[in-house]
Amino acid sequence: MSDLLTSLNSTARSLDAQRFGMDVTGQNIANVNTPGYSRRTIDLVSVAPYDPTSAGGGVEVVGVRALRDRLLDRRLQQELPAERREAAVADALRMVEAAIGRPGESLDVKLNAFFDSFAKLADNPTSSVARQEVLLQGGALATSFQDMASRLRSAQSDADQEIRGVVDQVNTLTSRIAALNATASRAAATGALPALQDEQLTLARQLSELVDVSVIDHGNGVLDITLGNGKPLVVAEHQYDLGTSSTPPLGYAAITSGGTDVTSQITGGRLGGLLQVRDVNVPAYLDQLDSLAYNVATEVNSLHTAGYDQTGTAGGAFFTFSTSLVGSAGAAQALTVNPAVAADARKIAAASITDAGDNQTARGIAALREARVLNSGTATFTDVWGQLVYTVGRDSKDAADDQLTREEIVRQIDQLRDQVSGVSLDEEAANLLKFQRAYEANARFFRACEDTIDALLQNLS
Amino acid sequence: MGLRVTFNGQFRDATTNIERASERLLEFQRQVSSGRRLDRVSDDPSSASSALGERTKIAQVDQFTRSTESAYSRLSVVDTVLSDIVSKLTAAQVAATSALGTTPTAAQRTAAAQQLDGLKAALLDDFNTSLQGNYLFAGTKSTTKPYVVGGGGTVAAYAGSSTEVQVDVDQDRIVTVAFDGSAITQGTDATDVFATIDALITAVNAGDSDAINTGIATLGNVFGRVTAAQSRVGSAMQTLDAEKLRLSATKLASSERLSKLEDANMAEAITGMQQADTAYKAALGAAATASKVSLMDYL
Repeated sequence: MSDLLTSLNSTARSLDAQRFGMDVTGQNIANVNTPGYSRRTIDLVSVAPYDPTSAGGGVEVVGVRALRDRLLDRRLQQELPAERREAAVADALRMVEAAIGRPGESLDVKLNAFFDSFAKLADNPTSSVARQEVLLQGGALATSFQDMASRLRSAQSDADQEIRGVVDQVNTLTSRIAALNATASRAAATGALPALQDEQLTLARQLSELVDVSVIDHGNGVLDITLGNGKPLVVAEHQYDLGTSSTPPLGYAAITSGGTDVTSQITGGRLGGLLQVRDVNVPAYLDQLDSLAYNVATEVNSLHTAGYDQTGTAGGAFFTFSTSLVGSAGAAQALTVNPAVAADARKIAAASITDAGDNQTARGIAALREARVLNSGTATFTDVWGQLVYTVGRDSKDAADDQLTREEIVRQIDQLRDQVSGVSLDEEAANLLKFQRAYEANARFFRACEDTIDALLQNLS
Repeated sequence: MGLRVTFNGQFRDATTNIERASERLLEFQRQVSSGRRLDRVSDDPSSASSALGERTKIAQVDQFTRSTESAYSRLSVVDTVLSDIVSKLTAAQVAATSALGTTPTAAQRTAAAQQLDGLKAALLDDFNTSLQGNYLFAGTKSTTKPYVVGGGGTVAAYAGSSTEVQVDVDQDRIVTVAFDGSAITQGTDATDVFATIDALITAVNAGDSDAINTGIATLGNVFGRVTAAQSRVGSAMQTLDAEKLRLSATKLASSERLSKLEDANMAEAITGMQQADTAYKAALGAAATASKVSLMDYL
């Protein structure tokens, strides 16, 4: 049979337990806004009676648990790379879109003005004003191509700069995770494991935003992290850096792991998105732009060289390239009006015979505007430009739409995760009340025991 | 167990909803204030690329309109010149006819010959008409004077080109703006109009009725060719008139299509803006109300 002093002892333990409950509630409330914090709950058990005539030994704190759903954490790590990838693509392509310009304010206007100038020359092939206009518009068209090409190039090198930055961030995150892994066993001993795991999972989440990784949670405070293809980033307390090496011809960064080039294996996260923009999207746009510039030059030149200039001399090339080209690569950047023509407007060939008044060549060049000379005779220059504009717009829209959908998925998972791990202030308020009242009641019981002992002692005296 | 409503979840929902509502409101405000449905290509890539096609169409129609107007003004000059040539040729025929037979005196014949000489100079001026530095009857040699007076008052042979200059006034529609002078002055005849008049002057002075009749007949041929050219120019001008109307109709149609592709539907945009405004205020209100109460207040 338990005596009064045992009761006092167990009540003191109960008071401790309820106070601890208030502590945990306080911790939850304090961390309501802490990212990655999983709410803690206190596990209480009643202490079994010592003998048949004992009511029991009160209550005991078994432990504090962090409430989390591993499945949701894993889902989040799977969805985030895709969402962040689309976000990175959408962001970068929005800039490319701005570079391409709106219809009616971009290269299409310059193309039209250029062909207009040749039509005006055809109306009056001997007019020096019309000839100057052709030079002016030809120069403006070439400059427009050059500007467009350099804007696309800078979109590419911006992405490259960012890729190098992201690789640094990845390394910082993995080294922090490895450092936490190293302290896991110590943390388990001091009860700091839930806090350590919260931090680890937050870091793993940040890492998933940057690159697609698989996370193996050993459950004991150790996270192993590998790249999608199995290259390790973190194994227990060991961390493996990602590296960058500048590769020719443009000096863009290739991503390496342990000396091996893993660039092509990174598809997700911000890094995957930036790589796609740098290596797939923008190069494709540049190719189209170069091919357009090259074809404009070639088609105009083939008519121009067959014609005769104002002095009756056979025409030279109207457009030239400032650098020698292999295929059409770099044509947009290198397009210029032939300096010999630019220096003397009489050298523009408007005639197809040696008569200054003939306008056949000028008419022919003006008619190129509507001529289906590209894509095996199915598309005009503006059609091809329209296709480029469309492709950029489509890619940008697809990325933005995709990102929106995936963002919603991430939000839903976050919401589900919150339902398990998040702090509800109302709930904590109720808990606070619960523990406070329980504490008061236990204190009251303590008082009753004490009064009883007092009464006994007085009787003895 | 019911849904656990957490502080963070509530907050995240509220901010997402407010963000979305304000984004929609901003989009409609942009449409209303700019009048444009499309701000960026990615708003509607296929419309944007169709709009590009319409703009090119409009640019080309504008160019054709300019060419049409310039050709029209050139042809009206040609028409005036040709009318003048017709009256000069008629006068030459009348003058030559007056010298026919035995009735005219030597003085009258001399007067007729002098009149013919004057008419020849006038015709020479007509065929050498230039507009903005370009000769209208020299074909593609528009900077070369087609007829120059050589030694002894004889007009040298045609120095222009037999190739005519044409301009495009529409897709596959061309109009001649500089003519082959020799096709009018000589055609298939043995001599051109100036040599014919020279011969007539000689015949008139000599009173050679046969030669005068031959000359008159040749002038008749020239007359026929000039009026043929005149009707060609006339019908070309009529075509250009019709062309101008057609071009402006095409431009109107293209502009309408462009406007449908690019411009905001104001009624829709304004209604949308009002709805978005209401939704935005509702989202703000809901967030404010939800975060106002807490069990904490009642403890």
